[in-house]
Formats: sequence, C-alpha cells, structure tokens
Amino acid sequence: MRVLDTGIRRSTSACLRVIRCGVLVLGLTTAATSVAQDCFESRQNASKVTVKESADGQVNVKCSETTGGVLWWGDPYDATVPMGEMPIEADYDHGEAVVKSRTKQLAMFPVCGTACHNGTFPPPNDDKTPRTLTMHTDVVPDATNLQHGRGAIWCLDCHHSETRNHFTDHSGNLIDMNEPQKLCGKCHGPAYRDWRGGLHGKRIGEWASTGKKRWFVCTECHNPHDVQQGERNSGFAQLESEPAPRLPKGLENADHERHHGGH
Amino acid sequence: MTERTIPLTNITDDLPCDSAVEVCTPGEGKPESGITRRKFVKNTSGMSAASLLGTAALMTNSDDAHATSEWAEWFQGNYRLMSDEEKQEAVDRLERRYSAEYGKDVTVDTTPAQEGVLFGYALNIQKCIGCRRCVKACVEENNQSRGEAQETEWIRVLKMEKGEFSEAKMGEGYPDDYGIQVGGNAYTAAGVVIEGEHYYEPEKVPEEDSFYMPIACMQCEKPPCVKVCPVRTTYREPDGIVVIDYNWCIGCRMCIGACPYWARRFNWGEPNLPKDQMNPVTHYLGNRPRMKGVVEKCTFCIQRTRKGRYPACVEVCPVGARKFGNLLDPESEVRRVLASKRVFRMKADMNTYPKFFYYVD
Ligand code: HEC
Ligand code: HEC
Ligand code: HEC
Repeated sequence: MRVLDTGIRRSTSACLRVIRCGVLVLGLTTAATSVAQDCFESRQNASKVTVKESADGQVNVKCSETTGGVLWWGDPYDATVPMGEMPIEADYDHGEAVVKSRTKQLAMFPVCGTACHNGTFPPPNDDKTPRTLTMHTDVVPDATNLQHGRGAIWCLDCHHSETRNHFTDHSGNLIDMNEPQKLCGKCHGPAYRDWRGGLHGKRIGEWASTGKKRWFVCTECHNPHDVQQGERNSGFAQLESEPAPRLPKGLENADHERHHGGH
Repeated sequence: MTERTIPLTNITDDLPCDSAVEVCTPGEGKPESGITRRKFVKNTSGMSAASLLGTAALMTNSDDAHATSEWAEWFQGNYRLMSDEEKQEAVDRLERRYSAEYGKDVTVDTTPAQEGVLFGYALNIQKCIGCRRCVKACVEENNQSRGEAQETEWIRVLKMEKGEFSEAKMGEGYPDDYGIQVGGNAYTAAGVVIEGEHYYEPEKVPEEDSFYMPIACMQCEKPPCVKVCPVRTTYREPDGIVVIDYNWCIGCRMCIGACPYWARRFNWGEPNLPKDQMNPVTHYLGNRPRMKGVVEKCTFCIQRTRKGRYPACVEVCPVGARKFGNLLDPESEVRRVLASKRVFRMKADMNTYPKFFYYVD
C-alpha cells in the first residue's frame, strides 16, 4: 500500500475525507433530462444521427446535452450499408462489415457530377498548381493554402478530374465517394493497414473477430481539406469535452491539482 | 447458509480506519445509522439457519412486494455458490423488484463466461483527447448514481502536462515549493506520473501541451481487491472479468484500499438513478441497480460483452483510442495491438498483471 502513487492516494483521500466531514447534502436532482434530437458521431458537422426508438423500446443512440456528441450506442448498425469490395489483401472479411454512406452527408454530391462539372466543363485540368478558387470556399477557405499535404497535393490528386462525383486512384481510375478509405489509402499506407486491422479508427458492434461490425471510414474522423488544423498540426479537430466530475463536497475549486508539489 | 464456506468471522462492526486512504474515524461521520448490511451480517452470522429462515418467513408476511424481495435478498447465497435454480430465483426476484421500481421491463442476465474467451483491453494514449465521452457513456450504460448527492463514475480521465525543460527554470523542479533540489532539475513536471488533473474543463480538448490518461478497473489477473475481500464477494470470472456480487458485499471497503488503480467506488448513500435514464438491460454481476453500502466498478460492460457487444466506452470514443477483444484470439483487435504496437501496463511493478494495456502507435 505504501508504494501507491501519491497522486491517486492524495485525491482519493481528499474526496473521502470530505465525505467524512458529513456534508452529505441530500437534494436529489430529479429534473427530467430532455433528449436531444440529433447529434454528431466523431467529427463535428461531418455526420448527423437522429435519435429514434427501436423495436425493443430502446433508442439507437443517446446524445450529450452538453456537447451534442453521441454518448451511447444502442443500435450500432442503424442506417448502415454493406462495406462493399475491398482490395484482396484486406482482412475484414472474417465478419460482416458495414459502413454509413458518406454521400448522404455531402450537400454538393447530388449535383457535383452533372450541374457544374459535366466531364468537359470546366475543362479537365492537369495543372495542379494551387490557385485561388471562386467556388467551394465554404469547403476549402483558402485553396492556395490547403491544410493537407503541405503544398504537395491539390484538389485533383483526390477528386477525379472528369468525373467529379468520384475520387481518383493513382492511375486515374474511379473511386466511389462512399469508399474514401481507398482514396486515403493510396497515400497513407501505414494508417490504411492499421485501419484494415481494426487498430486505426474505430468499429462498433460485435467484438469477435468474426462478428458484425460497423466501420468508421476516414472522413468520418478526418476533414480531408484540413488535416493540419493550423498551429495544432493535428489530423483530428478539437472537441468540447463532457463536464468534469463533481468536486468532492466541501472543495471549492480544483486549484490544488494545478500546482504539482506545493499547495 | 451454514454449509457455505465463506468466512464471516473476521468481519467487525466498525472497521479500523484504513490509514492509507484516510477513510474513517471511529464514531465520526459514519455513512448511516440504522440497520446496515454490515451490522446485519454480524448480528446474524451467529444464528442458526433455522432462525434466519424464521425471520425471513416473518418478514415475508408483509404485503409489500418490494420489502419481501428485499428480505429474500438478505438470505440468498453467494452468487458463485448458488445452484442454477437458486440463481433463477434470485434473478426472477430482482427482475420483479427492479421492473416495479423503475416502471419498465428490466432484465437481469446471468450469461456465464464463454469458453475460450479471456477479455483484454487496449487504450491508445497517443490518440486520447480527454473528451470524457467514455466516462459518460459508462454512466449511461451501467446505471451509476448521478446528481448532486452522489455522483459515481467508473472511468476517470487524467490530464497530464507535457511539462518542459528550460534554462529559465534552472533550479526549479518538483516539488516546487519545498526547496528540495533533486539535482539538475529545470522543468515543470513532465510525463505520466499518475498525478494528473481530474477536473480540467477547457473550452476544447485536447489542450495544447497536454495529453490524457483514462483509468478504470484493470481486470487484474492477480487482483489485490479479490485477495483482501473478507467475504469473497468480489472474484475473477473465467473470462477474466473481476466481478462483485453486490448482495454479498458488506461495504467494508477493504478492496478500495487495496486497489492500486483507484478503480472502485463506494455507495455512501442510496444511489440516485432516475427512472427515465435507467438502462433496463442488466447483468447480475454488472449494471443492475446497486444499493447503499456496496462497492462497484467497471466490469468491461459484462452485460454487453457476454452477449458479444463491445463495451460502451469503446463504441463511444470519437477517436477510436479504445480497443477490446479476446486475448486468446490472435485476430482480435487487442491481440493485434499487442503484436504491433508499443504497449505498457500501469504499475506493472505491483504484480497485478492488468488485462488493460496502454499503447502508442
Ligand atoms: C486529400 C484528398 C482531397 C483533396 C486534396 C481535396 N479534397 Fe475535396 N474532398 C475529399 C473527400 C474525401 C471528400 C468527401 C468528404 C467526406 O466524405 O466528408 C471531399 C469533398 C469535397 C467537396 C464536397 C463537400 C460537400 O460537403 O458536399 C467539395 C466541394 C470539395 N471536396 C472540393 C475540393 C476542392 C476545391 C479542393 C482543392 C482546393 C479539394 N476538394 C481537395 C478529398 C479531397
Ligand atoms: C495524394 C496523396 C494523399 C491523399 C490521397 C491523402 N493524403 Fe493525407 N497527406 C498527404 C501528404 C503529402 C501529407 C503531408 C505529410 C506531411 O506533413 O509531411 C498528408 C497528411 C495527412 C495527415 C496528417 C498526417 C500527419 O502525420 O500529421 C492526415 C491525418 C491525413 N493526411 C489524412 C488523410 C485522409 C483521411 C485522406 C483521405 C481523405 C488523405 N489523407 C488522403 C497526402 C495524401
Ligand atoms: C475513429 C476516427 C478515425 C478514423 C475512422 C480514421 N482516423 Fe486517422 N486518425 C485519427 C486520430 C484521432 C488521429 C490522431 C490525430 C492526431 O494525432 O492529432 C489520426 C491520425 C491519422 C494520421 C496521422 C498519422 C498517424 O497514424 O497518427 C493519418 C495519416 C491518418 N489518421 C489517416 C487515416 C486514414 C487513411 C483513415 C481511413 C483508412 C483514417 N485515418 C481513419 C482518427 C481516425
């Protein structure tokens, strides 16, 4: 017992000591908490899940009132479709793999292959020099400073030059927009390999290697147009956190833990 | 009752203060008066089985279904020693009581460990952003007490400072204020020291210059909590999960003192679990509602994982830092982590052999 780390011991005793002081105020919070109607999964604004009741009276998800993120998964397969073809070496096929459609979350998708980019207009362009764009500033605020690739890549390294509602592989073949993993995988081998093995990214559903799992695809976590986040230099955007634990009764603030060593 | 081999003799009414955690001072601020589980067990442990049954029979004359089942609960055996029929009886009783209490169909599952399964967990501290969604998912799933009077959370996320070494701080060091020089120090504390901040609350996470380290029950292979439990109500299941039969817990809190990971929580008061938030899918050894005076902790979501589902914290983690699976299956996510990542166990020097691994890419 003596070799316990002082930190844990100190904080444990702090809270227990307070309870000993007998300030157990009994004011049960009975305020019924209203259920938020929809929430996001991993990347804010990249997905929206709507709370609904399933047959057994449970809900598909529970949402956080504080942050608007999913807090609990009732039905992990809600609104999913089969993952589809994967390259031959992929090792997911021990079990059933499902994903959520990305194109359903993309506002531009229904029109981008036809209305503006019809294959001949605007003329397919092999010039990958970053330039100011008049369109898509909502998606890529400053195209001359794309927050992905540090100047080494540009729009048409990912988006197919003629068929804009698809991505492109290294040889100009089409990649479905619902399979961003194939796009990202062409440049990010190690991450892709880990993702296939279930180490990078996440899966929900059944833990058995032969079980049914919903896989999260790359763009459900990473914003392809901003994997740098400026100064932060991180592929994952910051989130709001859930509230801190309540302070032990009698403790007014947590200043003590900000000063290591002294009090 | 008399045939049970569980020793009750060394239970004392007032436990000595656990000096390591400064839990109690005799006579001062004891959690509650009246009949406590501990007193009850003590007072009755000397009686014969017959007189116990007699008392039970008297009590069951009450019209109150609730009281009846509670009384019956006092006389049920240790879960591990119950026959299948006894388990069924206990579960039926609990289901009836919980369903009435929470106004919905509550199920109490008893699914045993699967053969060939040993659960393991791996957490990527490089990816964790400290958002605490796991903490709250756990509460949603596992029916912990919430609210002002008693807030119980099984996972605690510690914020670690990255710290720094610099010429400007030459001569400073840890511990700052005591003037103790540990030689050549010029830094603010850096690295995993299990002395993180619990109560951080920035606008956004992860904060600059910080990383995060969630802790919960490590489901040790050699759990000190199991060793010290005087009534053997906490024990290891064949799939490696350390469980608690809440009905046999006497609230002595020895396990809390013994756990080097601060994983166990005590119900000082009656837990507050609002009906509308109660998760009705429960396991006897897991998330069924607890009572005042018993200890609880993470069970790898036994009610989910025994049915094949990932634990709630794994599913909710937005960055995918949490991996779970069967340690006996080389294809499982945990095994792949062990095979290809750099892994450590917390406080391995305590010889607890946790089945919870931390790793970095
Ligand atoms: C690293 C690959 C990559 C690069 C480079 C890239 N994109 Fe994208 N883009 C994507 C992916 C992947 C999606 C789909 C995002 C999703 O699934 O959420 C996308 C989606 C879009 C969309 C549709 C957004 C919507 O919500 O409907 C537009 C418009 C777009 N990109 C424009 C651009 C422009 C303009 C550039 C160049 C300045 C660019 N992209 C560069 C990968 C890329
Ligand atoms: C055409 C090649 C290419 C494609 C396709 C591509 N990336 Fe990148 N990615 C890069 C390059 C180049 C970098 C910059 C590495 C560096 O910082 O030097 C990068 C950086 C990143 C980083 C930050 C890496 C780090 O180490 O900080 C992330 C995260 C990332 N990409 C994710 C993605 C995702 C997700 C996709 C698919 C939507 C994708 N990439 C598609 C080339 C690509
Ligand atoms: C569940 C969310 C999630 C998914 C899905 C996901 N990633 Fe990541 N990824 C992360 C996080 C979190 C990081 C760490 C970011 C950081 O360090 O700032 C990361 C980091 C990366 C990096 C930086 C290098 C590294 O390995 O740390 C690359 C490259 C990357 N991801 C590519 C991908 C690709 C490609 C896919 C799809 C095949 C993908 N990611 C899917 C969450 C995810």
